[in-house]
Amino acid sequence: MTLFVQQFFNGLSLGGVYCLAAIGLTLVFGVLRIPNLAHGALYMVGAYLTYFFLTSAGVPYILAIALAALVLAGIGIGMERVVFHPLRNAPHTHHMIAAAGAMFFLHSLIQAIWGADFRRMESPITGRVEILGTQVSWQRVTIVITAVVVLIALTWFIKRTVHGQSIEAVEQDRVGASLVGINPNRVSMLTFGLAAALVAVAAGLVAPINLLYPTMGDVIMVKVFAIIILGGLGSIPGAIVGGFTLGMAEVMATTYVSAVAGEVIAFVVLILVLAIRPTGLLTKAVQR
Amino acid sequence: MSQKSRSTLRPLIALSTVSLLALTSCGNGGGDGEGGTITIGVTGPQSGGGALYGENVEAGIRLAIDELNEQGVTIDGEEYTVEMRALDDEYQPNAAATNAQRLVEQDDASVVFIPHAGGIHAAQEINTSRSDFLIGAYSSDRRIIERDNELTFMISPPFVSYSEPFIRIFQEEQGAERLGLLATASEYGQQWTTMITQDWEDAGGEVLSNNNFDYGAVSDFASSVARTLSDDPDVILVGGPSQTTALVIEEARDQGYEGGFMIMDQAKFEELELFTDPENLNNSAGVKPVAEFDDPGTDSLVERFAEDITEERPITAETSLNFQAVALVVKAMEIAGTHEDPAAIREAMPEAAAEVDDVFRVSGFPDEVTDEGLLISDSLEGAYRDSEGNYEYFPMDIE
Repeated sequence: MTLFVQQFFNGLSLGGVYCLAAIGLTLVFGVLRIPNLAHGALYMVGAYLTYFFLTSAGVPYILAIALAALVLAGIGIGMERVVFHPLRNAPHTHHMIAAAGAMFFLHSLIQAIWGADFRRMESPITGRVEILGTQVSWQRVTIVITAVVVLIALTWFIKRTVHGQSIEAVEQDRVGASLVGINPNRVSMLTFGLAAALVAVAAGLVAPINLLYPTMGDVIMVKVFAIIILGGLGSIPGAIVGGFTLGMAEVMATTYVSAVAGEVIAFVVLILVLAIRPTGLLTKAVQR
Repeated sequence: MSQKSRSTLRPLIALSTVSLLALTSCGNGGGDGEGGTITIGVTGPQSGGGALYGENVEAGIRLAIDELNEQGVTIDGEEYTVEMRALDDEYQPNAAATNAQRLVEQDDASVVFIPHAGGIHAAQEINTSRSDFLIGAYSSDRRIIERDNELTFMISPPFVSYSEPFIRIFQEEQGAERLGLLATASEYGQQWTTMITQDWEDAGGEVLSNNNFDYGAVSDFASSVARTLSDDPDVILVGGPSQTTALVIEEARDQGYEGGFMIMDQAKFEELELFTDPENLNNSAGVKPVAEFDDPGTDSLVERFAEDITEERPITAETSLNFQAVALVVKAMEIAGTHEDPAAIREAMPEAAAEVDDVFRVSGFPDEVTDEGLLISDSLEGAYRDSEGNYEYFPMDIE
């Protein structure tokens, strides 16, 4: 039982990180209809930025994550302007090639600045707390709480603010949205900025229980793509449900079946969902 | 139509010819005027997940070459400058073989260092047939010399050498019975696991569930650790890249594990200590840190690594063993009187082992080179970190 409770928290924290990373990808897909292959690289840059603010600049942990999110949002907007905006009328394959190019660029850039070494980011949040008779590390509790807070703030932003609603409007109908005076250019930039900020939070949270290295984003990229396909491309609730489902499935399969099962479970679930419901779990009716 | 395509092709052909010429002239540029040039080829990962590993290997080769050039290399009465030419293969076997071929054809390298088993196997397909070159094979997988490839020598001690002392320490001396498996799931990790499983059971122990996972591809390994600990092991096999291994060990200690660790030879104590509280490493057996050797060249190489390469990380066997191997192979060229005939160089290696300058003897310098291509050192040791955090060293038989 204690093993189960412990693993349940491991699953929740992993799911929280997957969620934050997946929402950004699904937002970009919803608005621009492109799979941003450089999303994993942005995640990696987010982790390095948090590392920089925490260890080199000496900023407190949560503030370091916030600063990293801010800077990465700027990088995300820059990427939209420089890489994707000029290609807005080009065929979709061009976006994919450009995104892959951006990914390699970011890998090399980070390797040039910080080197290929693995880096360890020590979190100031140490120690363990007893929950339901089992020891859970504060870092994991922080991950879960932060993820939930960020998800609530995001929902509020999308549903209750003009900028957020404009994102949703463009997602639903790009032409219709521009007819009522929404500037799709601004929305594209906003979406990229938001996606980058979210993925930076995910990276900053997970960095202390993982290692930093230039290709660290590749691992999560595959999982995150599985999640957004699972949840339905472009769907935010889908990304949330998909993220937690996958995190939990991965941890439980590893615990009760085997480590190999944990690694393949994402794809087993994905194949099952695609076989039964090819559009994903929570695809909106208006999705085209 | 064919004419049109030819006219578009022509500038392309011209361009590629020019750039090819430029490339070749670059490759041979360095050593004009002062005698000939010996090119040592290297193909390893310079980018991607294995980049750091590739850097460490290259560092050893570069440091050896600098030292050799300072001392002067004379082959058959003529002075030579040694150069390194390194290409990126991103850990891909096919790319390694292509690179090796390029290094041999374009840069006239007669020795190519390859630091991964996949690349070594791929290069062995061509190094005695299509073009002749000697492979400096840095991998601890013994199968690389079991294929009767007469132009291969194995730089790293085979990992089978660790099995006997590991089992002696934990099973015989400490009475451990239950062995947990939590190593990396790469092919190398599986080989290690198979070997230790067999030997542990043969010695009368019990091997628990296999929880190996891919150290490079899992985002959260707390669950694999928890599952291993739920079997209640006395000792656990861990190992993969040092940095991830350190986190796995730390997670196990955090979850309350107090037993021992057998650390596979890819991970190194000196790096593990940087990534986790060294106390977590107490009661573990693994590779002896380079700086702990008392060989004549140890101190000077440790110093030069810090000065010329980096102070941010300690030198490991990846650097020191390749450093030694370059000195050995260049000495063999001097003895053979040629830097162009790989077979003659290989043949001179056993004799060269005794004649290499002391400054190149760093961490278990080979005393013997077998016909198979194994480098045997009588002074090689492994390390055991006891429950107080003190290191003890145990002799290892290379086999």
